[in-house]
Amino acid sequence: MIERTDVTGTPLSTLPPIAVPVDAVAHSGTFKRKRRPAWRRGPALAGLIIIGVWIVVALTLPLWSPFDPLKPVADRLQEPSGAHWMGTDALGRDVFTRALWGVRISLPVATVVIAAAVLLGTIVGAIAGFFGGWLDAFLMRLVDITMAFPPILLAMAITASLGPSIRNATIAMALVWWPIYARLLRAQVVAVRQRDFVDSAVAIGASRWLILRRYLLPMSYTPVLVNATMDFGQVVLLVASLSFIGLGARPPSPEWGAMITEGATNFYQWWIAAAAGIAILTVVLAFNFVGDGLRDTFDVRDVS
Amino acid sequence: MAGFRVRSWRAALAIGTVATLALAACGSDKKSSTTTAAPSVNSGATGGSSPSSAGGTAQMSDKPLVIARSMDVNSLDPQRAYCDTCQIFMTAVYETLIGLDKDNKTLVPRLATSWTASPDQTEFTFNLDPNAKFADGTPVTSTDVKFSWERLQGLKAASSYLVSLIKSIDDSDPHVVKVTLSAPNSAFLAQVNASYLGIVNSKVAQANGATTDPNTDKAETWFLSNSAGSGPFELESYTEGSELKFKANPNYWGPNGPKFPEVDMKQTDSAVTQRQQLEQGAVDIAMQISADTAAGMSGGDINVEPVSSFNFVYLALSPGVKGGEDLTPDVRKAIREALDYDHLVDVTVGGKGKPQPSPIPNGFAGTDGLAAPAQNLDDAKKLLAGKTYTFDATFPSINVYGVDFSTAMQEVQSELKNVGITLNLNPVEISVWADKIGGDGIPVTMLYFAPDHTDSSQYVQYFGLVDNSQWVTWGKVPADPTQNEQLSKAFATQDETARAQVYNGLAQKMIDDQIIIPIVNPDLFLASRSDIQGMHYSACCNLDLAQLSRS
Amino acid sequence: MPFLLLGIISAIFVVSRLTPADPLVSIVGERNLGNPEIVAAAKARWGLDQSIPVQYVKYMKNVLKGDFGTSFTTRRPVLSDLWDRLPATLELTLFALFIGVVGGLTLGVLAARKRNTVVDHGARFFALLGSSLPWFWSGLVFLYIFYARLHWLPGPGRFDPRATPPARITGFYTVDSLLHGDIDAYWDSLRHLILPAVVLGWAVVGIVSRLVRASLLDEFSMEYVRVARAMGMRERTVVNQHALRNALLPTITIVGFSFAYLITGAVLVETVFSWPGLGSYAVEASRKLDFPAIIGVSALGALAFLLTNLVTDVAYAIADPRIRLS
Repeated sequence: MIERTDVTGTPLSTLPPIAVPVDAVAHSGTFKRKRRPAWRRGPALAGLIIIGVWIVVALTLPLWSPFDPLKPVADRLQEPSGAHWMGTDALGRDVFTRALWGVRISLPVATVVIAAAVLLGTIVGAIAGFFGGWLDAFLMRLVDITMAFPPILLAMAITASLGPSIRNATIAMALVWWPIYARLLRAQVVAVRQRDFVDSAVAIGASRWLILRRYLLPMSYTPVLVNATMDFGQVVLLVASLSFIGLGARPPSPEWGAMITEGATNFYQWWIAAAAGIAILTVVLAFNFVGDGLRDTFDVRDVS
Repeated sequence: MAGFRVRSWRAALAIGTVATLALAACGSDKKSSTTTAAPSVNSGATGGSSPSSAGGTAQMSDKPLVIARSMDVNSLDPQRAYCDTCQIFMTAVYETLIGLDKDNKTLVPRLATSWTASPDQTEFTFNLDPNAKFADGTPVTSTDVKFSWERLQGLKAASSYLVSLIKSIDDSDPHVVKVTLSAPNSAFLAQVNASYLGIVNSKVAQANGATTDPNTDKAETWFLSNSAGSGPFELESYTEGSELKFKANPNYWGPNGPKFPEVDMKQTDSAVTQRQQLEQGAVDIAMQISADTAAGMSGGDINVEPVSSFNFVYLALSPGVKGGEDLTPDVRKAIREALDYDHLVDVTVGGKGKPQPSPIPNGFAGTDGLAAPAQNLDDAKKLLAGKTYTFDATFPSINVYGVDFSTAMQEVQSELKNVGITLNLNPVEISVWADKIGGDGIPVTMLYFAPDHTDSSQYVQYFGLVDNSQWVTWGKVPADPTQNEQLSKAFATQDETARAQVYNGLAQKMIDDQIIIPIVNPDLFLASRSDIQGMHYSACCNLDLAQLSRS
Repeated sequence: MPFLLLGIISAIFVVSRLTPADPLVSIVGERNLGNPEIVAAAKARWGLDQSIPVQYVKYMKNVLKGDFGTSFTTRRPVLSDLWDRLPATLELTLFALFIGVVGGLTLGVLAARKRNTVVDHGARFFALLGSSLPWFWSGLVFLYIFYARLHWLPGPGRFDPRATPPARITGFYTVDSLLHGDIDAYWDSLRHLILPAVVLGWAVVGIVSRLVRASLLDEFSMEYVRVARAMGMRERTVVNQHALRNALLPTITIVGFSFAYLITGAVLVETVFSWPGLGSYAVEASRKLDFPAIIGVSALGALAFLLTNLVTDVAYAIADPRIRLS
């Protein structure tokens, strides 16, 4: 099984199941909780800004795009210049423009994958955690089996079976990702389920579905949120990886992974791969920063 | 607070690691050289005599020849192989009766010392060289020729079309081969020169399961690790996706023997990697350098030379397959007229190539006077009458003759968009593509072709709408009786000028059919280390390994 | 554990029958469909003309025997292919793990000791970069800088194409060349290892250093550290001989996790560096729709994951006296 960790590498299983605001912590020894200095918030804030910029770009790009990402507009394989900030590619298309347009593929795909994974995982995990018994055992075995495979291999296998395309790659990734959330939700639900107020609710006759929906789920969303944010970056990387191998986006789609493949073919024209690589990097870093910040905010262990 | 002291064992370990890495990076340079290092010289026992590019006066090198190539081998069975790499293989391992001189036109003796043709071009007699021997020492006889060509006919592989007109072969005299054709064929001698008509040792082959009947033949697997030919090289080993190894034939009987103890063809997918390996001195020859990649190559140790070739890359439209129903003659004509051919030459090969009017390449008989393909957007739009079309375009994601298919197809897609035709590009591995084209077929796709021999008939037989042509099969279109008739006429015509005229008519017909639209006729970049002699583009055989030597 | 294995095999059976096409195609390949002998042999071996449950049982039996079918492209048993290519991947990932762990430890200790200084932030950013960079991209960038432009290191591949690699004893070129006494070969294979291992290892440096830093800082807040410092013990001793020992415990888990992570990364890095290991085998198989190979590699990957977890659990148990004594 993959040992899920957060960005700092702390295994999730070592974290207590219920997320509690940090103020309530008593730490051993003489370590005093200092008020978080301003610079500490920096990375998370920077991350939010970067993501915000990318989202704005993704939404508004057709209005102000410098060039058409699919049309050749200049001489081929030109070095970066004033007219073309990241030069042109093998067909004469503007590389900077294509890198920008790539976000309109990566972000929506990542959103769909995470949303689907969270949805499916939540349902499965909540059911397993709440109802227990053979259902729990069966569903968790399913989770274990899926998580036993290296995610990229499983995604490759499924995409190859279904036929390479960005749509099938999205399906494959969702299928690979949901078990993580199932486990997470189940742990949350199991922990909360044991609390007194749940017994009381059952005693007064509230239906189990109501309890699940009204109480347990809202209390579980925090780790899901943290994980989903950090996963965003990983999913963007996975999409790019699948496209790089040739199992994802089809040409002439300006998907970042596919652009890096083109960059490998035109190795000495370094700007083609550089543009896409930097784009991926900024997005993934931004999500990692934000996830880091979220984790620190909601977590017990403050490690500043 | 104390500083970070080096005496910590952890630090020592870390520094040790870094030191090892640094040492390794600067370390032994004996095996790999940089672009500035001189290539290693042939340190053979004999003093270097000046090598000539022809014949046996060149010295046998003591080091293997290493070739970087992206291989497209479909089989190493001599009667099943049909691919560009197979041409190299067949020429090196299995000899043909007739060879081709360096001018790519003149037929010269090889296994046959002389030959005659009957006036009506239906009976051909070949006199075999009595000295000709297979690698195992047994003589090459007419029985071997008979077996080889009948097996080629019988197995009905892609190369079978070359012997489709053979009716019978008489091997009563072990040194004379008498071939009778079912119809006149003026191209027969050229076809005999094709590498696929190489002769296999019939006894050895049959002992390992080879027959002339596809239902009983079992030898294909054996041929993957063994060879039974008379050529200057033998098959040492083949690892698919990795390497094709030849070893010198110690019993080679002919005048132009192997000059390397071993030839290693290493699978190298990209032009960039091939360039890097060539510049480093890691390989001697890089076979698929593209124009873009060649642009930056320089230095005294390597020779990069563009030569014009007969190879070409083409777009194929298949109206008869699922998804291709909308490929009516008008739509096909619109596609042909929508493309900007000069720009395509620029995009695919950086200008180092030419457009090509018909599937018969520039320089072959019948191509004089054909109108160059021209872009005519207005007419194209008129033909489409405002309707938009979408076609599936699955193509092999390969890089052939310096043309990156993905780039080329994206350019084609972009140009066709101008007239309202949308191509859904789907690059796949060539094996996956081969399965698809042989199965359901593909409406719009791209492929390549190198000549099998020097006669124009091969192009009609492969591309034209004649019985059993490859594209009649793949495109699922009916044959055109007129073209069948014209092909037979060409075969029957002896006079070269008259024949050329018939081919000219056929070429024009193929242009009008618009099934095959040639995209570019690229120059071939011969890229090798400067100590390699004998690099030459062969119109039948791609690269003749026996002509290569190291100075 | 055995249930999990069963589950994995069942999962891959499902995936192998997922293809929209006829399962026969996914076992023999479309090209061989016309060959009656191959088709008949495949049908017998895998029970394809029988019902699904029978197929499943046959499949299970075959897999437990080690028969994953025959690869379309290499035409050899998938198991042989896997066996051939395993050492290449192992050599790379182990070397990367070594670089990652050593680098991560060093950086983590450094960051903890110089907490909240520029050094600390630099180290943390470096670590974060490691887990944010797409490995195939950083591989290309490294190749471009260190190979194409600076010529400091050799290019893609395990070995000089002109030379013959050492004959296989372990399959590790470095080890085998030493065993054969061939120092040149040793240096050549080591030099080829550096770039891909650094690319892979960088991510591990990230994970390990951050964990070490966090754990160390935790330890620093403990009573015994204050006491030791008050007693005048040198900082170096405090850190290396006391705090680090305790901080290392969670690191063991992370090393196990990192190894699993590296297996994933190997898929992409091997492609960029033309490294003939399991990762590039998986990529080629996926591109060529060589289903027996895809399934074989996935199963092996799952096995590797399982084994890594097992080893990690055992190592953790050995290392943590609390677990041992409980």
